[in-house]
Amino acid sequence: MAPLNPYTYIQCPCSDSASLGRPSDPTSPASADGDEEDNTFDPRAPRANFSLYPLEYLLYCEDCHQIRCPRCIAEEIATYFCPSCLFEVPSSNLKSEGNRCTRSCFQCPICIGPLSVTSIEMPPSDPNLLAPDRAATPHTTYSLICSYCNWSSTEIGIQFDKPNSIHAQLAKIRNGGASRLTAKERKERRKELSHRGGEAAAAAASEAAAGQDVDLETQFANLKLFYTSQLADPNAGDTGFSSLGDLGFSSPSSLSRIMNLYTGGKLHDPRAKSKLGAMREAVTADEGLLEADLDESSLIAQLHQSDFLDTASSTQICSQPPNLGEPHLHGAVRFNSSLRPVPYLLRTKRSKRCPACRHIVSKPEAKVLTTRFRIRLVAGSYIPSISIRRLNLPGPNGPAAPAILGDLLEPLKPVHFVLTFKNPIFESLKVTLGAPAKTPGRFPSKVTVLCPQFDIDANTDVWDEALKDNDRESSSRSRRRAGTESQFQVEVGKIWERGRNWVSIIVEIVPASLKLEAGQDALREDEDVLEIPMFVRIEWEVENGGEDAASGPGRDKDQQEKRELAYWCVLGLGRIKQG
Amino acid sequence: MSGLGSGAGAGTTPLPHRSVSNIRSPHTSGNTNPSTPSSSSRPVPSSTFASPSSLRAEEDLLILELGSRKLQIGFAGDACPRGTVWFTPSQLRRVGDFRDWSSESKTNVDWKTRKVTGEKWWTRDHELWEYDVREVDLGLIGDKVEKALREALTKYMLIDSRPRRMACVLPSGLPLPMLSAVLDSLFTRFQPPTISLLSSPVALTVGAGVRSSLIVDLGWRETVVTSVYEFREVNTNRSVRGGRWLVEQTHKLLAKHLPENQKKKEGTTTQDTGDYYLSFEECNDIATRMVWCKAHLSSPKAPKSKAGLPTLHEQDESDPSEAESPIEPSKMVKIPLQSCRSPTTIELPWEALAEPSENTFFDSQYSESSFDDHELPLPLLVYRSLLQLPLDVRALCMSRIIFTGGCANVLGLRGRIFGEVSKLVEERGWDGVIGKGADQMRANPKLKGKKGSRAAVGGPTGVASLSDAGGGQEQDGVWHDAANTAHDACPVEEQLARGQDKTPRVQGKMRAIESLGAWSGASLIAHLKAAPVSTIEREAWLQYGAAGASKPSEVDQKSAARQSLGAGGLMRGAAGNNSWTLGVWGVN
Repeated sequence: MAPLNPYTYIQCPCSDSASLGRPSDPTSPASADGDEEDNTFDPRAPRANFSLYPLEYLLYCEDCHQIRCPRCIAEEIATYFCPSCLFEVPSSNLKSEGNRCTRSCFQCPICIGPLSVTSIEMPPSDPNLLAPDRAATPHTTYSLICSYCNWSSTEIGIQFDKPNSIHAQLAKIRNGGASRLTAKERKERRKELSHRGGEAAAAAASEAAAGQDVDLETQFANLKLFYTSQLADPNAGDTGFSSLGDLGFSSPSSLSRIMNLYTGGKLHDPRAKSKLGAMREAVTADEGLLEADLDESSLIAQLHQSDFLDTASSTQICSQPPNLGEPHLHGAVRFNSSLRPVPYLLRTKRSKRCPACRHIVSKPEAKVLTTRFRIRLVAGSYIPSISIRRLNLPGPNGPAAPAILGDLLEPLKPVHFVLTFKNPIFESLKVTLGAPAKTPGRFPSKVTVLCPQFDIDANTDVWDEALKDNDRESSSRSRRRAGTESQFQVEVGKIWERGRNWVSIIVEIVPASLKLEAGQDALREDEDVLEIPMFVRIEWEVENGGEDAASGPGRDKDQQEKRELAYWCVLGLGRIKQG
Repeated sequence: MSGLGSGAGAGTTPLPHRSVSNIRSPHTSGNTNPSTPSSSSRPVPSSTFASPSSLRAEEDLLILELGSRKLQIGFAGDACPRGTVWFTPSQLRRVGDFRDWSSESKTNVDWKTRKVTGEKWWTRDHELWEYDVREVDLGLIGDKVEKALREALTKYMLIDSRPRRMACVLPSGLPLPMLSAVLDSLFTRFQPPTISLLSSPVALTVGAGVRSSLIVDLGWRETVVTSVYEFREVNTNRSVRGGRWLVEQTHKLLAKHLPENQKKKEGTTTQDTGDYYLSFEECNDIATRMVWCKAHLSSPKAPKSKAGLPTLHEQDESDPSEAESPIEPSKMVKIPLQSCRSPTTIELPWEALAEPSENTFFDSQYSESSFDDHELPLPLLVYRSLLQLPLDVRALCMSRIIFTGGCANVLGLRGRIFGEVSKLVEERGWDGVIGKGADQMRANPKLKGKKGSRAAVGGPTGVASLSDAGGGQEQDGVWHDAANTAHDACPVEEQLARGQDKTPRVQGKMRAIESLGAWSGASLIAHLKAAPVSTIEREAWLQYGAAGASKPSEVDQKSAARQSLGAGGLMRGAAGNNSWTLGVWGVN
């Protein structure tokens, strides 16, 4: 069992309205909102996982005074770039050329290692030729090679003539080395044909060509062309797709259409009939109709011949980009030989805004290579952090054993944890904690927060603290627990320890026993982890300086505004020993 | 100095220009689209988070297709989706939980320690929804959709979070509560001004270039056979034989060949206990990689069709399926397994790998009468759905069979189903009545006159009276129905028909066609600005929810149609209307 470090998760208040943990009740979708506040938050509810975040993932809007999690933030894209070549991609390219790097950056389809372009030494036809001559020959070809697993694009029969713009070259090559026409070329060829010969000849030729290898891209283009021409037909009227929308038979168009279907148009004006029948089906491959090839015996034979490891795993297939060059969909990628190099997905740098007030919460430098941020309001500098430490008190029989991280908790034996709250802001905080007496779930552990209400001093300058240190030492407020034994007493309602901007309190836990009763399901994953939900409410006062209520050391304390923030957090304390 | 100053001025002036052009670029690119003329009359979306920028982002429409196990997303007009996100257990983990990346999870320690009983637990985390709404946490479905969509938007779409119009391609059998959960999640989390709904069978039909079709969706949860006639779903039949069964049968097969000490509990037989010895991921992987389907063996079964006694059928049928000698030399396949107790390699005969698909989709060793309605073998399911169709619809649908869904990738399965259905049609014709009595009656020439009225099981009586002719026309292969008889010589009509519909519609013969897929079909529909089944406005949804939808029949189609012809664009058919529908999903 992996050792468990104590952790803290914070539930973003934005998911409150989504009424967590409510049993499915389709009849009353919004009725239970009223009593939602009384319910304790159950960290084990499956929905809870979607709203819990470590403190580091959270941002904070200074104007709304709210925590902003990745779910409740508006994003804007600063830069698009390729993670491999780090080239910035203009946003206009994205729409036309897709979401992948169109230069020469590829990932290995077998592992995910980066592929590099390597030249292939052609076997010298004449051994007497000198090396420089050979290098000068135009027959040098290139392949993509993975330096991690030694995969080479020659394995799928793909070689390149040029070492650059591999993406464009790859688009024209099928696995096995056969070339394919890109959409543009196909269109040009079609145009050429129609220019040269008569219409019928062109149609026949392109149909023959299309029938050979209609890949997805071509079929889509053909269909699009076909539908556009059908819809553009002036006779077509509205009967194109409009029947998609009306389900009822009440509309005149569907009525007349039905009449037309069953009467064969004899009762109607022939003109009307031709109008209604205008949008027809695609009939030829040129129009996008493709008959299925159901005979897969050759593929079965190939599967029969090949080893298990010759087939592509489902993760490999999933990481393949949608390949428009494949002739059909079914079982298209099955063997390793049909995998293709994966062009790198582009990435983005995003700046984030508060969705409510539109203020920027996080803004990275636009340059790809810098990792700095211009603006970054992380929640960690606004709300207190909580760190957890296990407290081992010296028992009656000897001194305390040092608490080891990941130590299992003994069931039904009280343990103490020190929670240290650290105040990051320049005002003193008033913290109120609330925790259910018993943790929710099948194995309730008893929880007692010994000091649920306390103040934390402001995060003043460190040097202030150092200068004042002498006074502080004598004052009774700071209780340093150096070595005096009498202070090893856990007292209810008392702060355990306090420093410049932090306060430690004690939580007493009686872990539940994980013994399963008869008829109970087995332990689920992580059910042995002791997690306690805790409601944290912090209050602080800032001077109300009008709009910009920025926190700063106060000059005039005449206008004080009270602020509060409340949220649920989950403290993971440790694993309970299983009986 | 002045030169320097002007130089600096020249250097700084391009900057605002560039930024302006950057901002405007999506707008200008939209102008080239044929869609922009309509944008002028489009109402301003008054979302709570409205900003000027939200107007421009509206230009591109996102199409997302939700399936049981994956979400596909892309822009309208693209040939295929830009990204596919599978629903996996790692999505259920908290943010910042990097357990999946630890070395331990690679060997599935996690899986080994977990004891899994019951199919539900085994597959649950890999699915988006369970159609049984009774014990489903709808909020969880919303969360899952949200998380997957967020991942897709960030990773594949690379777009910002400005509100965009969306179109959802959904299976038409989706229960209303789930549809409402999905819409809730989308509307509250992504703020699209409108969401259009499209049913996947219709989108598939459009993606194949036809107007009518028989969609055989070999899906994950179930196999759904939907007949689409003139872009409208007219009939649906379903069977629980789907991908999930296939993976389970694969597990069963692997477990059978697993050495006894690899199983977690000794002494139990594999078939009886609901325990799983291998992880879902591994079985799923093997099912997609190695499982194949035997070709349809028509020759040994064909003579028996003339015997005409179903009871004899089954006894005979069980023999050839077992005694059928493999055409290829039997070969052992080595399959490495990771998720059992210790990594091992098992050897299976190659033939055995066809068993899972055999058991899942055909179960041909059992008699037809032993199946419940919800678990019909697929050939029978397809045949029955064809049988239920009215005559002319059937004629069109049977020559436009579209196989789709994840299990269509099982090698040989499509051909097998197609072959068996053809054989069933050949054997029985379009007569829903089978059995001894029916055969006797058919043989009896005296009763022949009455037969038409008795055979009216499959369709409406008016049509079924023709079913005798339907059986007869199979031989000549030409379908004579009312729609085609109108080709009389009428000069006016001929003139009008010139350049149109010269080629007669293919009908009456079995034919399978390829579709680009539901997503691509939806992309076409959206690109061509056709009216979707229903379009829901954000405000209306947030205010009323699913209860605000009016019944599809109640909506005044005339006004909707008139509007759809107007400048507003066809995509928002019911926009100005106060009434909106949920289409097929809101019918019940």
